[in-house]
Amino acid sequence: MDDILCESRTVNKTLAIINTLDLKYTYPGGTAPSLVDVSLTIGKGDYVILTGPSGCGKTTLCRCLNGLIPHFYSGKLEGEIEVASLMVPEHSIYELARHVGLVFQNPENQLFALSVEKDVAFGLENLGMPREDMRARVDWALQMTGIYDLRERAPHELSGGQQQRVAIACVLAMKPDIMVLDEPTSFLDPLGAQKIFEVIGDLNKKLGITVILVEHRLDLASEYANHVIVMDEGKVVLDGKPLDVFDSESARLIGVGIPKATRLYQALRQGGVHLDRVPVNSQEATLLLQEVLTRDRG
Amino acid sequence: MSVFEGFRFRRVLSPIHQLDPRAKFFYVCTVFVIAVMFNQLMPLILLFLIQLPFVLAAGVQKEWIRSMKGASFLALMIFLFNFLFTYFYREYPTFPPSSSLMEYSLAMTLRFIVLVESFSIFFLTTSPDRLGLALEQSHIPYEFCFAFTTAVRFVPVLAEEAQTIMDAQKARGLELERGNFIKRIRNYIPILIPLIVSAIRRSLELAEAMESRAWGATNKRTNLYVLKIARGDYILAIISIGMLVLAVYVWLFMREQIPSLIPWITG
Ligand SMILES: Nc1ncnc2c1ncn2[C@@H]1O[C@H](COP(=O)(O)OP(=O)(O)O)[C@@H](O)[C@H]1O
Ligand SMILES: [Mg+2]
Repeated sequence: MDDILCESRTVNKTLAIINTLDLKYTYPGGTAPSLVDVSLTIGKGDYVILTGPSGCGKTTLCRCLNGLIPHFYSGKLEGEIEVASLMVPEHSIYELARHVGLVFQNPENQLFALSVEKDVAFGLENLGMPREDMRARVDWALQMTGIYDLRERAPHELSGGQQQRVAIACVLAMKPDIMVLDEPTSFLDPLGAQKIFEVIGDLNKKLGITVILVEHRLDLASEYANHVIVMDEGKVVLDGKPLDVFDSESARLIGVGIPKATRLYQALRQGGVHLDRVPVNSQEATLLLQEVLTRDRG
Repeated sequence: MSVFEGFRFRRVLSPIHQLDPRAKFFYVCTVFVIAVMFNQLMPLILLFLIQLPFVLAAGVQKEWIRSMKGASFLALMIFLFNFLFTYFYREYPTFPPSSSLMEYSLAMTLRFIVLVESFSIFFLTTSPDRLGLALEQSHIPYEFCFAFTTAVRFVPVLAEEAQTIMDAQKARGLELERGNFIKRIRNYIPILIPLIVSAIRRSLELAEAMESRAWGATNKRTNLYVLKIARGDYILAIISIGMLVLAVYVWLFMREQIPSLIPWITG
């Protein structure tokens, strides 16, 4: 019995790409810790949505994942954090950058070159990649994110949605195993946001990149996710499959933006109508409703 | 500020835009040296005219004329200062001022105009991108080149932000144009402070983004682009050297024979 448990844990460990154990962090000069006892396991190839009220520590957790904490932000970090088989406190940010890409909230402040392709090449230049390889890699990243035609434009002349895609290309060009996106759509209109979600979904599905997406608009984002983490006041309060998390009572209490389809399911259940599954998007909800209706008639 | 308007780069394709910034910079330096060597009108007028084909070939006449207009006020000041100071210092009780004084003041003004002209051609036809690249390939430490291109990149952003803050503060009743000189400068404090705070926050975010993209991973940094010296660059360099040699020759052996132009002007 013990043996089997042990074995399953090691298997789990090899499939996991991010592991944290009792992670606790306080910003320099901060009175209360911004992360409290965060223990997480994220599998390779997962699409994780990280959500929770603002100020709950999502950005802080993202900074831990690529080593900005503890290398850029000093302060007090306790517990263990292992990302792509590297113990974060023992490796510099540039070493981690080959494995973890971080896309920030504000597209304007993460692009600094005078042309899009130069910006996308920035990370590769820093790594000292030979020019021919770099050219190919930059073109590939531009094509994957659908901005190849914009390559010679100046980043600050683009729309927010285009800028954010450039930011994703910048990180993608370094071929990371993990991509962390901190509210990438909060400065965008719904259409721009939808486009970003599609690009991210593609990277996860086609390239197998592990995605960690911090997001409030769960309606649009949850379509692709297979893992949802909800934080509140620095703690992880819910961690599991999207359906289980969205359907739980505490998610509603914390004020997580539960997808409308799931809310419909809950309302129907209260009214005595049971759908077979919990839907996360409108197509699924439509299908399930149709099933129920035909069954009732028949 | 219109002087600076005349220096703002606009993306156009022309043979002049294609030239290597280093070749163009060498040319600008040559013009600079020649302009400083002579204080007679004739060589400076020649120097002024020689550069016009560049303006036309680059197709930046409009911007160039704007920069010249912007410089005209300063040019007038330079003329007046030179003229009045030298007159009161050297010739005062005699009247009218001598024609050589006139020529000298005009020449000083024209020297300034020639300098503005050549720098304006340089900046109008050189993209900041290529300029940064040229700096890098001239073995200037990468940090400086990066700071340069980033500064260029963020100037319009900060300008826009300053405008937003100004509008916001005006909406709250701040009056910029009131009071004496000191008061007016003080009026700008409520604009400067938010601007500085936001610039600092912005620079922190930038630093985070740079770090996240492997800044400083190796000191053998590579570059997506490379500047190659082409035929046009050699031609420009040869023209520059030719001009310099000619100028030095004239300066050494014919300086005294350069005719004064004032009798022509005054008739
Ligand atoms: N650079 C910082 N310095 C000090 N405290 C910070 C800093 N960034 C965030 N915090 C604090 O950490 C807590 C979590 O913030 P954050 O991770 O940004 O939340 P979220 O991204 O979920 O909105 C907040 O209480 C915030 O005040
Ligand atoms: Mg945040």
